[in-house]
Amino acid sequence: MPLLTESKVFIRPDGPDKVTGSGRYVADITLTGMLTAKFLYAGISHAEIIRLDVSAARRVPGVLAVLTHEDVPERRFGSIADRTLFAKDVVRFEGEVVAAVAAIDAEAAQKALDAVVVEYKPLQVVTDLEEAIADGAPLVHEGWADYEAANVERNGNVASFTSMTRGDVEKGMAQADHVVFGRYVADATHAAPIEPRGVLAQWEGDRVTIWSSTQVPFQARDGVCETLDLPTNRVRIIVPHMGGGFGGKCGFHYEAHVAALARVARRPVRLVFSRREEFIAPDRRREGMIIEITTGLKSDGTLTARRVRVLLDNGAYSADSSFFPHMAAMHTLGPYKIDNIHAEAFSIYTNHQPSGSVRAPTAPQTCWALESHTDELAAVVGMDPVAFRQQNCIDTGETGVAGQVYDEIGLQECIREAVSGIDYGQDLEDDEAIGVAVGWWPSFPGASGAFVKIDRDGKGVITTGAQECGTGSVMTLPILAAAELGMEPEDFELVYQDTSVAPYDEGATGSQTILNNGRATVEAARQIAVQLKNLAAKKLEASPDDIVLADGRAHVAGSPESAVSIVELAGVAAGGELLLGKGSGTPPEYPSAVGVACVGDQGLSGWAGPQFSCHAVKIRLDRETGVVRVLDVSAAHDSGVIINPIGASGQVEGGVMMGIGQALTEGTVYDEDGAQKNPAFLDYKLQTMADAPPIRVHFAEVHTPNMGPHGSKPIAEAPNVATAAAISNAITKLTGQPVPRLPMTAQRVWETMRGGGDG
Amino acid sequence: MSFAIAGSLDEALAALAVGARPIAGGTDLVVGARQGKAPLPASLVAIDRLDELAHIESRDRGIRIGAMVTHSQLMIDQMIVSGYTALADAAALVGSPSTRNIGTLGGNVMNASPAMDTGAPLMVLGAVAQLRSARGSRTVELSDLWTGPGQTSAETEELCVAIDLPPRPARSGSAYVRLEYRRAMEIAIVGAAASVTLADDGTILGGAVALSAVAPTIIEVDDAGALMTGHLPDAAAAAVATAASDVARPISDLRASDTYRRHTVGVMAARAVDAAARRAAGEEIGVPVNRAIGVGASR
Ligand SMILES: Cc1cc2nc3c(=O)[nH]c(=O)nc-3n(C[C@H](O)[C@H](O)[C@H](O)COP(=O)(O)OP(=O)(O)OC[C@H]3O[C@@H](n4cnc5c(N)ncnc54)[C@H](O)[C@@H]3O)c2cc1C
Repeated sequence: MPLLTESKVFIRPDGPDKVTGSGRYVADITLTGMLTAKFLYAGISHAEIIRLDVSAARRVPGVLAVLTHEDVPERRFGSIADRTLFAKDVVRFEGEVVAAVAAIDAEAAQKALDAVVVEYKPLQVVTDLEEAIADGAPLVHEGWADYEAANVERNGNVASFTSMTRGDVEKGMAQADHVVFGRYVADATHAAPIEPRGVLAQWEGDRVTIWSSTQVPFQARDGVCETLDLPTNRVRIIVPHMGGGFGGKCGFHYEAHVAALARVARRPVRLVFSRREEFIAPDRRREGMIIEITTGLKSDGTLTARRVRVLLDNGAYSADSSFFPHMAAMHTLGPYKIDNIHAEAFSIYTNHQPSGSVRAPTAPQTCWALESHTDELAAVVGMDPVAFRQQNCIDTGETGVAGQVYDEIGLQECIREAVSGIDYGQDLEDDEAIGVAVGWWPSFPGASGAFVKIDRDGKGVITTGAQECGTGSVMTLPILAAAELGMEPEDFELVYQDTSVAPYDEGATGSQTILNNGRATVEAARQIAVQLKNLAAKKLEASPDDIVLADGRAHVAGSPESAVSIVELAGVAAGGELLLGKGSGTPPEYPSAVGVACVGDQGLSGWAGPQFSCHAVKIRLDRETGVVRVLDVSAAHDSGVIINPIGASGQVEGGVMMGIGQALTEGTVYDEDGAQKNPAFLDYKLQTMADAPPIRVHFAEVHTPNMGPHGSKPIAEAPNVATAAAISNAITKLTGQPVPRLPMTAQRVWETMRGGGDG
Repeated sequence: MSFAIAGSLDEALAALAVGARPIAGGTDLVVGARQGKAPLPASLVAIDRLDELAHIESRDRGIRIGAMVTHSQLMIDQMIVSGYTALADAAALVGSPSTRNIGTLGGNVMNASPAMDTGAPLMVLGAVAQLRSARGSRTVELSDLWTGPGQTSAETEELCVAIDLPPRPARSGSAYVRLEYRRAMEIAIVGAAASVTLADDGTILGGAVALSAVAPTIIEVDDAGALMTGHLPDAAAAAVATAASDVARPISDLRASDTYRRHTVGVMAARAVDAAARRAAGEEIGVPVNRAIGVGASR
């Protein structure tokens, strides 16, 4: 039972601001004396800096600060500590920051950038993944063996690596009646939030306040502290409204650069990115991949063995990408029953923009590859692809590829409901087809905290470090608090996105907010519930254990007429012991994965609270042009119990739309020198509202103990996993063979139909 | 940098005479400058308040469309939709509602992009441009106006004041079809316009076909009229498809390869002929054709 029924309309607290334009984003904030920041980027993908001279730039009128690596502490950071705030000696991708300026206006800042003298000696550019790991390949990081990093293998251009083995893959292949091989190549894509990022920093004495459009304010704070040598309590990160993130605004980005500029300039400094900068500079891009899968199966459809090899384009630096090989390996193996597996995945340094978490990192590409491959397997043994999945996908109590035995899960229900939601098997026009794919995604338990208070009029405030990047925590946290206290979600306001006010939270990353901050909020609210029950017990002359909080009142169990309103109790408390709750709670544990030998797994071989999905998509193909149009989507998800159906459905709809873009139109194109050729919306084609098909959503509400509040699991990333795969399978039904490259643009589809293509 | 708002046509022409560049909706000029295509001109004169340029009027011989008429006006104007439908098809595909509300026909024509959407329709409909300067007026054929990507034969002091279209013969129809990867904010990968006049027996009496985004300017398929005349629409469409692919000189870029463009422009041309012929025969096909009959995957 959802805590918020669909019939109840709860207007999301940030909605009116965002819809009417009254909401303030970083770019809307102006402080007295504020300067404009601009960055000088490398503009070349791999080169030695042989001369860097900013003296002329410093003399440009109106320029108050010009910084290079010389002006900040020498610190490396990242999940592999392979990067610095400013390039020193070598630049490794076109968007690397070489210098930063702050000036009285954009024109003066530009003049200063133009006056920076920088000379490069070009180095050999590494862009091709296979070449990058070949013997004798030029190294992106000559000195990388000396960088600090946890649990990674150091070998040439391999930034991080995973190997997983279970059973005996050779033996499994030998038992097979058929062995099928597939090779799939995915282009890089971008998170493309509608708001390009902004950062504004102001110093007061030795303390700095930074307004930043970040999904992870505490990570941003820690990055500033680490790179500028500051204690946490002197750095305050505030996030005003944020115009989307999709992972692109996870991590630590430019907060330290702007803070350093503001300190030198002794003025507030604001940086606002252009769309081009948003494309080329951040260390957040969905990585390009080469995915190879070999599967052995019996004629009855039983899977006997799977071997996978995945190459991921790590780009020049490792933001948070060192866990990607493991994720990619798991997704390429898939939510299937196979006893003999071997997987190897390499994240490879190149001179491309760094990769980082973008909504369900590694999953859409690997799922697209695996699920395209799975339809091929079904075809080889003459089975319907849905029946094939029903036979081979894991179910409750069964063992997955990593040896993990699953508690109650709803994958089979997802398959059943997704296909029935789209009327799979219906008569179609001869240019139409329905494709089906399954996906999965883990949960990431972690630390989080919240404060809840109720004031004298019975109105509440939730103070949380959680972030709202569009995932709807502004709705669901009040719903959770209200449910504990017998109040309405509207009774709560949120104070959030301020690191000096709220307890720690990992941020809007990894679909974590309701899982972790929801747990914290519930716990904080429960403390107040205890207080309210004690107050009511006194008033009603009953035992606190018999007090029920419901409908804005506290009443004695079994006699609802014996009641006192929460407003009245709040008034009493206001004159005595205040209604204050704090919560954090113990994060759920990661389950162990048994019987899998794993290198470089970053501790994730057992998946906590795995979420499952099945997407079924109906398309029409224009055979003369290769243009594919998505006509209808049916998406079924096991995200546990759904707390807020409006918010959860919205996540699915958005995830499906992103998936359609990844499937058909979104892809970053690089030139030979490693530069992006389409860092703009003219030629990086997102889906538009006009392209949106009807999207039907079904939730397989499996109550999941020991995970999120009320038996829930996360939902934000999972919907972005299976759409491209389902579209691929629909296309293949019409073209006869899969389009081996993502995105499956019209031209690539047409080329596939003609035979050939660029593979 | 100077920016002036013209209160009258004469003021605008006077500003052009001393070197100012006109700005209409600014959707090409300003957006292009922001993208770094070309810096904003040092001196601009805004012509968006010249109401006399914002009308579509019927004249003795055809119609006159003022340069400041927007795509939003074109796509719903009854004269355009019923008589010059290909132009309405094109206007309805431009950008988004806000692009159409502010972008003008004059701006589209004078910006002279090879991917412009109104160009091919105007060409098959026999349009001419009216240019005016402080020194006088002249009429220019579109094939003489567009000289290369972003280039026209207009003098810098000349303003395009209107586009004139000749009257439509009986039993004629037109259509503009564009290859789209998505349904809004798209730029033509290729496009084709056709105008067809039918004889009483349903064969084609005459017509024209023009193509977008496959050459440095909008180009006409010169022998399209001859290829179609005397044939039923199906056969005519097939012949035109081949001729269109042959005459195309497309480039390879991010949006498509030359091979793909050469092929698909033929497909678009055939579909344009088909839709134009059906309209000529009296069939109601809504504007834009792309949405109405499922061109590409846009059905
Ligand atoms: C998001 C977006 C989507 C778009 N989609 C499309 C599309 O689908 N199809 C398409 O064809 N175009 C498209 N465009 C381009 C543009 O909107 C059109 O070309 C529009 O018609 C330009 O008109 P404007 O009034 O804005 O021109 P402006 O930008 O004002 O002017 C364009 C050029 O023409 C000159 N000029 C303007 N008016 C005159 C005149 N009367 N006489 C002489 N010179 C003049 C200007 O000096 C300038 O050089 C799009 C643009 C944007 C920003």
